[in-house]
Amino acid sequence: MISRRFFFAAAAGLLLSLSFGRPAVAGDQDPRAFVVHLADKAMEIMTVKGATDQDRVTKFRILFANDVDIPEISKFVLGRYWRLSSPEQQQEFIRSFEEILVLTWSARFKDYGGDLRHTVTNVSPDGDLGVMVDSLVDRQRQQPIALQWRLRRDGGGGLRVTDLVVEGSSMAITYRSEYAAVIQANGGKVEGLLSALRAKLAELQAGGSSSTKAD
Amino acid sequence: MFPASRSAFTRIAGSIFGLAPILALALVAGCATPPPADDPEAVAEWEQINDPLEPLNRDIFEFNRFADTYAIKPAAQGYHDVVPKFGRERIHNFLTNLNSPLIFANDLLQGEGDRAVQTFFRAMINTSFGLLGYADVAAEAGIPAHEEDFGQTLAVWGVGEGPYLMLPIFGPSNPRDVTGLLVEWFADPLDIYLNNVHREWIVYTRGAMSGLDKREGLLDSLDEIERTSLDYYASLRSLYRQHRASEIRNGHDGGSKVPAPSLTGSAEPAHIDELSQQAQ
Repeated sequence: MISRRFFFAAAAGLLLSLSFGRPAVAGDQDPRAFVVHLADKAMEIMTVKGATDQDRVTKFRILFANDVDIPEISKFVLGRYWRLSSPEQQQEFIRSFEEILVLTWSARFKDYGGDLRHTVTNVSPDGDLGVMVDSLVDRQRQQPIALQWRLRRDGGGGLRVTDLVVEGSSMAITYRSEYAAVIQANGGKVEGLLSALRAKLAELQAGGSSSTKAD
Repeated sequence: MFPASRSAFTRIAGSIFGLAPILALALVAGCATPPPADDPEAVAEWEQINDPLEPLNRDIFEFNRFADTYAIKPAAQGYHDVVPKFGRERIHNFLTNLNSPLIFANDLLQGEGDRAVQTFFRAMINTSFGLLGYADVAAEAGIPAHEEDFGQTLAVWGVGEGPYLMLPIFGPSNPRDVTGLLVEWFADPLDIYLNNVHREWIVYTRGAMSGLDKREGLLDSLDEIERTSLDYYASLRSLYRQHRASEIRNGHDGGSKVPAPSLTGSAEPAHIDELSQQAQ
C-alpha cells in the first residue's frame, strides 16, 4: 500500500516536473503561490475572531476586486443572455453579481473554528490561457473538501480566478443554471433577473446589518 | 406508514403500479412547455436543464420545504443541540459502518478492486477494533471512508440519469438514482436479516437515524444556499447534478469534465479591460 502510494507520488512528481519544467516567462505569476496566498487571505478573513460583518465584507470586496475576474465570470453566468442585454444591463449585472458574491462569501464559514488547513495538490494547464489548481481543505476528523481553482492569465501575466469547483460542483455553472431559471421565469427578460438581484441584495444587506447590531 | 413486512410492502408496491395510469396523467398535466424548435439556443438550454416535469417537481419541492421547516429540520436541529459533537460523530461512524456491505458490493460491481479492498478492511477493522464502528480506527490508520451506491454503479455501467425528479422527502433524484434507491432498499443484507427475524423496528430506526444524520450534516450548507440564492430549487438542481457526476467519477480526472467557463458574450475585449481596471 505504502510503496504503491510512494510510487504514484514519484510518478506524479516526475510528470509535473516534465510539464512545468520549462522556464516560466518573466513576470508570470506562479499559479501555486497565487492560490496558496489567496486561500490564506480568504481563510484569514473568514476565521479571524472579533471582526464585524462589515469588516469582512470590506475585506472580501478588495479580495474579489484584485484576484477574481468578475466581468469574465459575469459573462459566463449570463451566457446567451449577455448578448441580449444592453451595455447598461451588463454593467448593472456585473456590479450586482459582485455584491452577491461578496455578501455570500463573507458570511460563509464565519462561525467555523478555524482549524482549516489548505494544501495545493496539483497544477495543470487548462486551455491556452488557463491554469487549473487542485487543492484540499483538511478539517478535523472530517473528510477533506476538494477544491479546484480555475485561473486565467491576463495580458500582463497576472492571474485571476474564473471559477471555483467545490467537491465537483462549479460555482460558475451553478450560478449560470440558477440565473437562467430566473430569467426563464420572467419571460426570458434579463430585467427580471436584475430586479430579483436588487431585491436579494437589499435582503442580504438588511440581514447583515441586523446581525452586526446583535454582536 | 411503514409496511409491517416485505410482503405487505410488495402489496403496496403492487397497488402503486395499479395506479400507474392515473399517475401518468398527473405527470403529463405537470409537464413544462418545451421551447419552440426554431430557437436552437433555447432548445439546447432546455435539454441541458433536462427537467420536463419542472412544474410538478417544484410543487413536490414546496411540499418538502414545508415538511422540512416543520418536522425534519427541527428534528435535525434538536439532534444537533442535544447530542454533543462527539456523540454525533460516533453515531455517524456507526451508521457508515453498517453501510459497508452495500458499498463493498457496489465497489465490486463497478470493478473498483482497490476501493473494494479498502471497504472490506475498513469494515473489518472498525467492526472489531472500532467497536462495531463506534470509532473510525481505519481512517486514522490511513484508509479513508468513501461512499458508493447502486445509482452510481448503474451510471458506471452506462445507464443515463434521465430527467430530473424531485422525490417527496427524499429530495433531488432521477430515474436512475430512484432505481438504485429501490434496489438498495431490498438488497441490504442487514435489513434482510432483521426483517427475517422480525426486528423491523431496527430497520426503521436505522433509516430514520441515517436521515437525521444526513440532514444534520447539511444544516449550515442548505441554510446558506437558501439564504443567498434567487431560485433555491434551480440552485439545488444544478448542485445535485454536478455533485452526482463528481461522485460517479470518484474524483478521477475531475477537472477535465467540468466545462470551462469561456467567453460566451460578444462584448468587445477593450470594454472588458476597461471594466477590470475600474474594478481594481
